[in-house]
Amino acid sequence: MSLSFDFAPWLCWAMPTIGSVIHFILPKGLGRARYAAVVLFSFIAWIMALLMIFSMPSHGYEELNGFWFSLPKGASVGIGILLDSLSVILANLVAFLSFLILVYSFKYMEGEPGENRYWFFMSLFIGGMLMLILANNFIFFFIGWKIVGLCSFGLIGHYYNDDRKYWIGGPPPYPFQKPSRCGLKALLVTTFGDVALLGGIIIIYLYSGTFNFVELYENAGVWLTKMAETPGILTITILLLLAGPFAKSAQFPFHEWLPEAMAGPTPVSALIHAATMVKAGVYLVARVLPIFYFAAWILNPGIQEAMVFFVVVATIGGFTAFLAGTQAMVALELKKALAYSTMSVIGYMMLSLGVAGMSPTALVEGYTSGIFHLINHGIFKAALFLCAGVLIHNSHSIYITEMNFSRKEMKFTWAFMWIASLALIGIPPLSGFWSKDGILLSCLESGQYALFVLAALTVAVTSFYTIRFMGIMFHKGHSEEKGHGGHAGEPSVIMLLPYGILAVLTVGIGLIGPWMKEALAELFSEQFHTIHIISTEHTVHASVSPIAEIIPIAASLTMIAIGAFPAYRAYISHKLKTSEILKRNELLRGLHVFLWNRWYIDAFFNRVFVSSVLASREPTAKYIEGGMDMALNVGIPRLFSSINSNIRKLQTGILSVNMLYILGFMIILIIAFMVLGVL
Amino acid sequence: MQVPYAMLQVILAPVLVAFLTVFFGKYLGKKLGWVAFGVLAYTSLLMINIGIDLWNGLGPFYEEYRWSTAIFDMKFGFLADGLSLPVALIMNMICAACALYSIHYMEHRIEQLFGKEERGMYTVYFSIYLLFAVGLVGVALSTNLIQMYVFVELALIPSYIMIDLFGYVDRHRIAMMYFIWNHIGAAMFLIGIALAFVGTGSFEITALGNLTNASLGFWVCLFVLIGWLVKMATFGFHVWLPYAHGEHPTSIAAIIATIVGLGNYVIVRLLYGEMLEAFRVFGTPLLILAIITIVYGGFLTLAQDDFKRLYACSTISQTAYSILGIATLTTMGVAGGVFYFLSHILGKCVLFSIAGIVLCQTGIRDMRNLGGLARKMPLTATLCILGSMVLSAFPPLSGFQGEWIMFVGVFQEAGASTGFTVAIVAILATFLTVVYTFWPILKVFFGPLPPSLENVKEAPLSMVLPLFVLMLIAFIMGIYPESVMRLIGPVISSMAP
Repeated sequence: MSLSFDFAPWLCWAMPTIGSVIHFILPKGLGRARYAAVVLFSFIAWIMALLMIFSMPSHGYEELNGFWFSLPKGASVGIGILLDSLSVILANLVAFLSFLILVYSFKYMEGEPGENRYWFFMSLFIGGMLMLILANNFIFFFIGWKIVGLCSFGLIGHYYNDDRKYWIGGPPPYPFQKPSRCGLKALLVTTFGDVALLGGIIIIYLYSGTFNFVELYENAGVWLTKMAETPGILTITILLLLAGPFAKSAQFPFHEWLPEAMAGPTPVSALIHAATMVKAGVYLVARVLPIFYFAAWILNPGIQEAMVFFVVVATIGGFTAFLAGTQAMVALELKKALAYSTMSVIGYMMLSLGVAGMSPTALVEGYTSGIFHLINHGIFKAALFLCAGVLIHNSHSIYITEMNFSRKEMKFTWAFMWIASLALIGIPPLSGFWSKDGILLSCLESGQYALFVLAALTVAVTSFYTIRFMGIMFHKGHSEEKGHGGHAGEPSVIMLLPYGILAVLTVGIGLIGPWMKEALAELFSEQFHTIHIISTEHTVHASVSPIAEIIPIAASLTMIAIGAFPAYRAYISHKLKTSEILKRNELLRGLHVFLWNRWYIDAFFNRVFVSSVLASREPTAKYIEGGMDMALNVGIPRLFSSINSNIRKLQTGILSVNMLYILGFMIILIIAFMVLGVL
Repeated sequence: MQVPYAMLQVILAPVLVAFLTVFFGKYLGKKLGWVAFGVLAYTSLLMINIGIDLWNGLGPFYEEYRWSTAIFDMKFGFLADGLSLPVALIMNMICAACALYSIHYMEHRIEQLFGKEERGMYTVYFSIYLLFAVGLVGVALSTNLIQMYVFVELALIPSYIMIDLFGYVDRHRIAMMYFIWNHIGAAMFLIGIALAFVGTGSFEITALGNLTNASLGFWVCLFVLIGWLVKMATFGFHVWLPYAHGEHPTSIAAIIATIVGLGNYVIVRLLYGEMLEAFRVFGTPLLILAIITIVYGGFLTLAQDDFKRLYACSTISQTAYSILGIATLTTMGVAGGVFYFLSHILGKCVLFSIAGIVLCQTGIRDMRNLGGLARKMPLTATLCILGSMVLSAFPPLSGFQGEWIMFVGVFQEAGASTGFTVAIVAILATFLTVVYTFWPILKVFFGPLPPSLENVKEAPLSMVLPLFVLMLIAFIMGIYPESVMRLIGPVISSMAP
């Protein structure tokens, strides 16, 4: 006898969505209590997410369907919920983190401009994210997906007045970016992905006749075979489909919006990085992954083209992990360093999901590690950003070099931030260690040694940049001049508690790490059996020899040490003087410039897309449009008037000339009659 | 509940009021706007009433009146089915909203042009305004080709007079240009009608289906199509539109965006609905023309610095989306195209009105001199974002639903004939819309406020509220697309074999 909690998922996404307007409805007299109501709605969403755990059916998934609207010729689109391990786990994570972030921002946003707008977008953002996670079909999913993109535009560009103090980038002589422009950049880049994704969804619909995820899984054999009959179609579909998640999750080549997405208030960055938005892309990849796995490994004969999906996801993920990590090594803005690290960690998740399908045995390990890493990253990255909000607020500076905190005055913040940072590095026994180890292991299991090396290198990079920013902020020592900050002490408990809880969770998950991963693996294998028609033999854990199990752990720990050692000497014990090393070594100096300029990718895109469009404006208006305008609106009237005036010249009014006309006319008439044979 | 002569009332009531205004107009002055709104609201309610019956599966409803028996039997009829009614209703509601909007706007404009005491100008404006609205609704409800032509001209002539009297820079020349271009379009349409009459001996729309002569069918299609492509400002025929829409008084510019889109309805009703066989050959050329127009219109819009002209140019590209949907000749494409057209006119009406509000409150049209207005005009800025969301297909507003349904049709057609490349190009082109709708928001509403604009005030509620109502309609269509699909879906499915 189990209680029915069918209402839970509906309320879960509806509550924050409704909550987004609640503070407009409540009387103004309530003051900031109106915003507490918004937080309450998000709290209800979290409770609903918890209830969903209880309504999880034993057979793996449940669908709640509703009619939405009909299409011509009898088809229809439903509005529905799909509950399976993936969606329930993610909904819980998102609802929980969002709630904590909203609690934090209740204090953080006090007295900031545009608070009404802020709460509207935040709550709708959460609603959109939960909608896309819980949706059971592509159209409903896509609506949540687009809402998330739109809200990010509103939130990143929150300080739309572009006052000097909200600029990011720099320090001089490097250029600054203004918040409104950053918001637009995020919107445009992600929308480009959305447009392509919609194309992919439509192609799948044309072959399968459905938008519903479960039906897509169940009929995968039929429609994939049909699609594979024309070579190339599946590849195009995969590429279109992946452009969406890559843009949303800030993966190469669509990653350039994320470093600038921190122009909004800090809780926004926390939400974007930890709970909503960038996780959406990973979710979509995880959602459609079984379909392509099925096509590549289970379908008989297998469809080779489906492997494109895994190859692209794994390579782009691995590459982005490395790319973004290296950029974080030189970042001077705290939030930018964290943003790069998000891209890098998301890259890990993509890598993990990618290698999951590159060998028939790596599925469960790769899939589980990817999602496990997503959970861990959500928790510790939220903690890092919430700490960063306090630090930036206290020091009135966005640059780590201008921050100089005393760990005694802020010992909680200091401790919590170190815990989260160590989890980011992957120090055992914190949560990040287990999932990162799993990712390395699945690279090995699937035989992708090149990707393994890349991932291991990134571990060293991660360890370097994390210790660097922590060291610069908290462990300046006395040798350096006193920067700003340090005077304000710990924040109010409303702000401290959320990231405190997250830090404790990081430790907690770390302690039960191996068991939790095992449990997740079991849940996902079950999900594969039931919905995704992936038979049992594919989800059996490949028996890896104990030595192979040790390799990733050893590699990971070694790489951490390799990265940590120089960072420790340079930024904590101050034995190394980085500025002097840079001065001496030209190669390192060149590398620094290269990394500082983000591998010149941003400059390249600006040159190719932005500048070229701007350059096209004048020629378009002046020559193309102006030319057509002249030809039609001026040319034709002028033609008529010139004909007009020329004909007028014929009428001279002189009798003898007129007689000549008559003579000429008569001659022509006679000739005409003769030709026609009348005369 | 069925109202007697409902559709006749929809047409005649505004005409009657338009004539009456001549007598009592000068006593009312700008309050005439409320009279115009009242009568249009009444006719909207009449149509909603019909719509409810249609929703419940009744209908379609016909009203027929004898027009002439002199040489041949000619009827004057109205048809309300699932396709014509939503089109007519939404256009009528837009006209009603713009009537309210015009009160403040025209006060400002008439004062500028004719001085404060010129109350007679309100009479001129609102009487022809009503005739204009009748013209639009009449085109959608007509059952007879001559009747349709009359209504097309009825929509054209008032808008010509309005631009000539109340327009902006160089308005007399542009009014003439607008009139000539549109009249050429209408004349082509009339030639098509005449050719059809040669073949069928009737002016009834339903008689077009009897046109068995294939070559005659081709010519009829060609002339009707060229006529409406001129009016819809597709690439090559578009040069009049940036001027006309840019210099019209904005309340009218918002509505003539509707005339531009109305071509989509006419093409679906006449060519797709009645003579699909003859129309089929035009599918692929029309598809390519639409894509060229979308891309070119997008770049042209990006090249504008003038806030009004910007939205004028975006109409070129947006109208071509619907043409794209219709050109696929698939049920989904056509249904999506019509849906998109409905949602586009809602969004475009709001955006033009925003340009008008900004012009009215600041006196500036050049976007390079604007900035930071969101702080001074938060409601206007919100509306501008909402309108841009409709255009660039952001849920939960209606544009998204129209766009994806339409693109299912586009991919279906492309997959069957030329391969997906064309469809992918088309769907990637929609990215341009986001660029050219959201980039101007940045320039006009965000960033620092220029010192000269410190004293700008938010627009009066009589301008802003009607626009919010339009966005509410777009919102309802977006979250519950069934509200439109249930009406247009079956009609469009029944058109194709």
